[in-house]
Amino acid sequence: MGVIGYGLGVIGAGIGIGLAAYGATTSMARQPEVQGRLFTVFILGSAFVEALALIGFVVTLIAS
Amino acid sequence: MDALSKLPDAMDELLDGFMSHAVVGDTTVGLTQYIFWMFVAIALLFVVMFVFKKKQAQSLVPQGFFVNGMEYLVEFTRDDMCKSILGDTWKKHFPFIAALFFFILFNNIVGIIPGCHPGTGTMGVTAALALVSFVYFIAVGIKRLGVLGYLKSFAPKGLPLPMTIMVWIIELFSTFLRLITLAVRLFCNMFAGHVVMGTFAILASLFFEPLLQSFSVAALGGAAVSVFWVLILIVIYLVEILVAVIQAYVFTLLSAVYIQLVEEEE
Repeated sequence: MGVIGYGLGVIGAGIGIGLAAYGATTSMARQPEVQGRLFTVFILGSAFVEALALIGFVVTLIAS
Repeated sequence: MDALSKLPDAMDELLDGFMSHAVVGDTTVGLTQYIFWMFVAIALLFVVMFVFKKKQAQSLVPQGFFVNGMEYLVEFTRDDMCKSILGDTWKKHFPFIAALFFFILFNNIVGIIPGCHPGTGTMGVTAALALVSFVYFIAVGIKRLGVLGYLKSFAPKGLPLPMTIMVWIIELFSTFLRLITLAVRLFCNMFAGHVVMGTFAILASLFFEPLLQSFSVAALGGAAVSVFWVLILIVIYLVEILVAVIQAYVFTLLSAVYIQLVEEEE
């Protein structure tokens, strides 16, 4: 049961990282010269989103 | 599948291995495995820093892979985390930011080596690190604005009184939330990454085991599957190296951003 809950929770994180990647790629295509700066921002944003999924993962392990 | 049915037991054993056990002394006075590897990381950090300082002093121009690599790391900390975020005040906070970054980075990297544990893989260490960062930016704020001034600076000026009170409470709450998110993010990343790596290592060994006991076609098939698990394990291992650097970067960057927020208050 906990594993199913974790799967549901990951949907949100997946959408979040997808949106971040989408934004990063479109803006990189429009303005290739800011690529380096954008990549850091993208990594940062993904790290925030990923942390939520990881909290879910750890809570699942602890609860089960 | 026979091998898969053994997985839950092996997982329990793995998770038990990730709980804090005393390796030196007992749990009241002594070191758990995480703290032990944290000390190893600190010792490594000291050795690297002293060797770097000595080698750097030998010639005016940086020579060799080691000196250049370390200089690149320090410059990356200075330019990417301090100068770009803190602006003119970067010089004051650079020692703190760099110490935080190198400590977390070395802990994470030591944890990546098979058989070692990351010092940051336990809640106690990450909570302490987050507390250090929390106290630091509050101390900076109090030093700049005074206690009352810092408390007032949570809410922006020029709002109607009821709004000011509401915003103040929300901001106070979010300030304390920073402490929790900083600690939990680093801990969960290191813990979860190592659990995933351990799971795939266990899967590979469980599928390979029948081949060692008796030779048959089915056992050979299991061994072929375990090659697949090992491939995934290698990919996750590489991702974990990336995560180790990124999480050190994220923790330090967020600390810098929090310091900058109090530095720019009027």
